[in-house]
Amino acid sequence: MNTIYTLSDNIITSLGFSSKENFDALKKGVSGIKETSDPKITQIPLNVSRVDSDRLNNEFCQIGNSADYTRLEQLMILSIHDALKQTDIDASSDETIFILSSTKGNVDLLEKNNLSFGKDRIHLWKLGEIVRIFFKSPITPVIISNACVSGLTAITTGAQLLRKGKYKNAIVCGGDIISEFTPSGFQSFKAISPQPCKPFDANRDGITLGEGAGTIILSNEEKHVKEKNPIIFRGGANTNDANHISGPSRTGDGLYYAIRNALADANKTDKNIDYISGHGTATPYNDEMESKAIAWAELEHVPVNSLKAYWGHTLGAAGIIESIAGIYSIKQNCLIKTLGYSEHGVSIPLNIISEYKETKIKNFLKTASGFGGSNAAAYFSEVNID
Amino acid sequence: MENIITKYCIIQNHQVIIDGKTKFKDNDNLEYGKLMKSIYKYYQIKYPKYFKMDNLCKIAFLGSEILIQDKDNIKNIDPAKVGVILQNTHSTIDTDTKYVHTIKDKSNYFPSPAVFVYTLPNVMIGEICIRHKFQGENACFITKDFNPDFITEHVNELLDEDKMDACITGYTDYIDGKYKAMMFLVEKNKENRKDNISFKPEIIKNLIK
Repeated sequence: MNTIYTLSDNIITSLGFSSKENFDALKKGVSGIKETSDPKITQIPLNVSRVDSDRLNNEFCQIGNSADYTRLEQLMILSIHDALKQTDIDASSDETIFILSSTKGNVDLLEKNNLSFGKDRIHLWKLGEIVRIFFKSPITPVIISNACVSGLTAITTGAQLLRKGKYKNAIVCGGDIISEFTPSGFQSFKAISPQPCKPFDANRDGITLGEGAGTIILSNEEKHVKEKNPIIFRGGANTNDANHISGPSRTGDGLYYAIRNALADANKTDKNIDYISGHGTATPYNDEMESKAIAWAELEHVPVNSLKAYWGHTLGAAGIIESIAGIYSIKQNCLIKTLGYSEHGVSIPLNIISEYKETKIKNFLKTASGFGGSNAAAYFSEVNID
Repeated sequence: MENIITKYCIIQNHQVIIDGKTKFKDNDNLEYGKLMKSIYKYYQIKYPKYFKMDNLCKIAFLGSEILIQDKDNIKNIDPAKVGVILQNTHSTIDTDTKYVHTIKDKSNYFPSPAVFVYTLPNVMIGEICIRHKFQGENACFITKDFNPDFITEHVNELLDEDKMDACITGYTDYIDGKYKAMMFLVEKNKENRKDNISFKPEIIKNLIK
């Protein structure tokens, strides 16, 4: 099977418009979450992480006509464009496939009953078409809508297509925007914290939502690799906990199976994992379930964090931007602290990263869980280890 | 060995077609909800949660029930090795639209968690998994039209790599009263038989004609 190299990446969130800008903010412990009473998205004060609209418009104008694209399309196209700039792969080749992930796509058009972009524009397949045409790709993109694990499912699906050599490159991009739709829904579930979220903390009381886009470019061709010791995707898996459509399993079995299957897919038999980038939404049930799954996998000794208190839960982008942050943890040999965490609040004594730390990192495991019982895990490492 | 379709079920045009034969026909031109309920009754399904499901989940759930009703061997497989992988075109626009109505009028603002939870297309996969405790590979792909080339390649690879032993797969869609399910139970081939149906795109295109 082919080796799957990570070539380049981009993150756009409240913390910046590049992976570097975002990771620099994470290292400094800066959060992009702010309270808003913007009536376009909420009826009550809401903590949320939003992308700077003026900057989005200014940056997008340099590559396209912003009036022709929705907010989400602008985010995703800009993200892909920045990731492509850093590599020499050809997006318009029939050897390059786009894999896109989003939970709600252009749902803001539906809310505003906005038909100015045409009636098809609300559909996720159309989002794929818009992106495909912008980058002149001859290949129908793969679109994934797998709730909060969408981004990780997109990465594992892209890697699977490259392993067998069906395509040479995969441009994997995930995104979601904040409109009134998602905050009001999570509020109706009483799942949103009145403060910025506190993953794995004893006083955690819900999620903080965020918007953004992230892109990771994968390739099975070594010739595109610039680094001496590049980071590769080693294995991944998607499972279901078959418990409840809106509540995670109490035992963590589904996430445990995802971790087990991802490590098996990576042919990894030991427990020498340097870092786990958890999902850590900061709902009472999710974080507790996650701790049990990690313990079940006998990984409770491994340093684990959640990045949700920096850029919120970015839904379709989360699995991708958090995987990219993991890649930067390897590249820069550092661990990002779990912002919002102060008092241990899950039943398993997990090794929660509570302070920024510089230490040798060669590999990491990324996990995610979501509505519909979905769970996913992926394992990345430097090419020259284990 | 090739993976094979051990049963397939098509729900469209007021009919349920199983393995190429029409098994249920609605002659009364029932509207979608009533049609689905009469299919539910016809197949003697007993699952009260069905009545809470949204329109997309209903057709996906019924298709999966019909597929595995008489397949005891599936119930004996390790549930972590049974996957559910579906394609869909219109995501949950039907339920999204209903949900938007609950937040549109600020003087009559009543966002409902029971509606909101169905605004993700992979929830239909969750419903099928919950029903049978299936915990294997999961994915919801959005395609403009059913794309047998992609889904056969994806599902066959997962089966060939032993990541699954069986998979409920295919296409389900619902929008504005229009519906379609084309679902396949795919298993590893254990014995070479003349009547085996390979899980291949050209064969599927023929089956759904």
